[in-house]
Amino acid sequence: MNAKPIDPKLARLIHTAEAPGILYGSCLDPATGHVYGGGIDGHIYRLPARPTEPLPEKAPAEKLWRNHENYIASLAWIDGVIVSASYDHRLIWTRAENGQKQREVHAHEGWVRKVVVVPHWNRLATIGDDMLMKVWDAKTGEAIHSCAGHLRLTPEGFLNTVYGLAASSDGKYVATADRTGVVFVWDAETWQQVATFRAETFYTYDAEKRARSIGGIRGLAFSPDGTRLALGGIGPVSNVDGFVGPCRVEVWDWQNTKRTFVGSDKHQAILNHIAFVNGGELLVGAGGGDGGPIIGCWDMKTESPVAKAKPKSHIQHFAFDDAAQQLLAVGHAGFQVWAFTPAPAKSSEEAKKS
Amino acid sequence: MKSQHNEHKQPSGTCITHEHRFHRRAFVGGMLTGGAASLTLPGVSFAGEVPAASSLKQQQKRVLFLWLAGGSSQFEMWDPKPGRETGGPFRDIGTAVSGYRVCELMPKLATRMNKIAVVRSLNTKISEHFQAADLVSTGWPKEPALEHPEIGVVLAKELALQDSLLPDYVSLFTTSEGRRRPSPGFLSRRHAPLLLEGSLQPSNIELPAGLSAEAHARREALRSSLSQQFAQQRAGNDLISGYNEAYARVRGLMRSDELFNLENEPTKNRDRYGRTPFGQHCLLARRLLEAGVPVVKVARGFWDSHHDNFESHRELVPDFDNVLSVLLDDLDERGLLASTLVIVLSEFGRTPKINQDVGRDHYADAWSCAFAGCGIRGGAIHGKTNEDGTAVVEGEANAADVAATIYQAAGIDPLKHYQVGQRPVPLAKEDAQPIRAVLS
Repeated sequence: MNAKPIDPKLARLIHTAEAPGILYGSCLDPATGHVYGGGIDGHIYRLPARPTEPLPEKAPAEKLWRNHENYIASLAWIDGVIVSASYDHRLIWTRAENGQKQREVHAHEGWVRKVVVVPHWNRLATIGDDMLMKVWDAKTGEAIHSCAGHLRLTPEGFLNTVYGLAASSDGKYVATADRTGVVFVWDAETWQQVATFRAETFYTYDAEKRARSIGGIRGLAFSPDGTRLALGGIGPVSNVDGFVGPCRVEVWDWQNTKRTFVGSDKHQAILNHIAFVNGGELLVGAGGGDGGPIIGCWDMKTESPVAKAKPKSHIQHFAFDDAAQQLLAVGHAGFQVWAFTPAPAKSSEEAKKS
Repeated sequence: MKSQHNEHKQPSGTCITHEHRFHRRAFVGGMLTGGAASLTLPGVSFAGEVPAASSLKQQQKRVLFLWLAGGSSQFEMWDPKPGRETGGPFRDIGTAVSGYRVCELMPKLATRMNKIAVVRSLNTKISEHFQAADLVSTGWPKEPALEHPEIGVVLAKELALQDSLLPDYVSLFTTSEGRRRPSPGFLSRRHAPLLLEGSLQPSNIELPAGLSAEAHARREALRSSLSQQFAQQRAGNDLISGYNEAYARVRGLMRSDELFNLENEPTKNRDRYGRTPFGQHCLLARRLLEAGVPVVKVARGFWDSHHDNFESHRELVPDFDNVLSVLLDDLDERGLLASTLVIVLSEFGRTPKINQDVGRDHYADAWSCAFAGCGIRGGAIHGKTNEDGTAVVEGEANAADVAATIYQAAGIDPLKHYQVGQRPVPLAKEDAQPIRAVLS
């Protein structure tokens, strides 16, 4: 939990670090504040985001190793090791300090979409295009369990996808969510399904104009106390050629399968990633779409939108650095570092220039 | 030698008396709804032209257009570039054709590439939907003074069966985005297609409430008798033949409602094609082709993936892969593939550059189309793009070349021309070159 809550209204972009194409996944080394990203070119990039000197506005990201043969979709951090999940169907463990590959496993029959750490259990969970959620020993890479439930096809007969994956902070539950808005919550001890519900608003199938769909639950996060589950994505889409619909979050009391909050904004975008900050009092979502990129913030106490910011480009994922109180985002063209402090006063010379 | 045929639009009302118009309205008015309401009845001649029987027609050649409306991505289908920055995340897979690889989203078609010919080197230059669709659908650039007919309309005219009671051309475009109603251009509207837009059943072909089949037959007998008397008084008037053909087509259509009813198809066939709209539309197309409709177009909207391109193609391409594979097998099993030209075409392809919303935009400079069946050399792969798919480097072809290839494959001389007023207009643009590599 943050020592001091951030004020989302003060959000400002303080640094960008360029990387080619799109970075899809990121993870944070909580000790150093270094953020790692991976994406289209299969390389891992690094940004030291807690420098002793002020960050310049713009710089290239540090290019590290490449172990994957396809896009990197997601990263997880475990004790100095980065676990990368890729569309090449593999999970790879790599030591961050020297780029030494420790192990790899063929994780799914299809793209691996996400990997998360299940706290306290020495476990990783992954989702893939085989529609399974799999559980792994975080240290050895041994397969522990495989959970099936998401349907292979959408109601209209097209391929479905599991996009959302989250673990509760106490490690007791893991949740998965798919393109059609179906959510499962799994008990992390027995790996039995303990709840399921459908948030169908995140899925738009347009039978009349285009005979195809868009959407899905792309962001998924447990509240810090584990009782609520937040979903992120896009609301009803008017034109499924793109993200032409209101960005949307929902919060569910998952144990009672009851929706408790809907946050929407007229900004047309999909929220690819969401997270609770300020001890669960603030829900942050980030993404992009027809209305351009967005970071949206909702106050969970007042259940109302509290702030939004316009990122430099479409965001795919972010990590929140509690120590530095910075949001470290990855997406199109690399990294973005967002601070939540007042902008420093300009020197008289800068003021003259501006 | 160039063949020649005179045809042009009749000015409104020409050769059609008030009396005839009244009877036409009484009998067939409102028979077809939707877009067809604005056309004269498809396949119905009011212009007095009766197509001459020809060897082509006796051979019963058929053409099926699969129109991937909105612009499908060549990278995620016929011309993958795995490992390149432009390539996207899908891998390529080997095919039945040595050395040719397709996107991994098409495993079923990969095993059937010996039946399919691909052109990977289209450069059609126009990347705006409507203008591009006009260009690719007609094979001609827009001309202010002359509206060219859609290729399907020309084929419907050329391949029409004289005594058929079925439409010469049926166009299925059930989604509304980018919907096109194939234009007869300077040809008679009699060659315009029967449009299936709202549903797969032609509208209003059932008898009106209160009119029994017997009463309908009596009316038809009376009409036929009057028509005969009229013909005797005006022997030699082609218009009479046109009218009789018109009524015959209408009766044929009314009797063919079962043809459009997919419930009549065995469940295993319906499941084989897949219960998606495209699957069921292609199953209907096969039924129509088998029944003798010479030209069918199935539009599958809508591929315009400006955002989330890979998720969109992950949804659309496996369906396309299954449906086209089953369709080719089905046509083959029924002995129809050798006489049916199948064409897979869009208005353009998608950009090599992946935009910030993980989309691909419109791109006409280097894209692909495919052919199979009648007149096609299966397994032929024509043309090449560069490593990133940004430009054609070998075998460039344009929209006119595609049109010429289609005509040639269907056994029609692309240089055959119609006389439009004082101007002889060839089927394909004068400088068009059929893509010989894909022709058998």
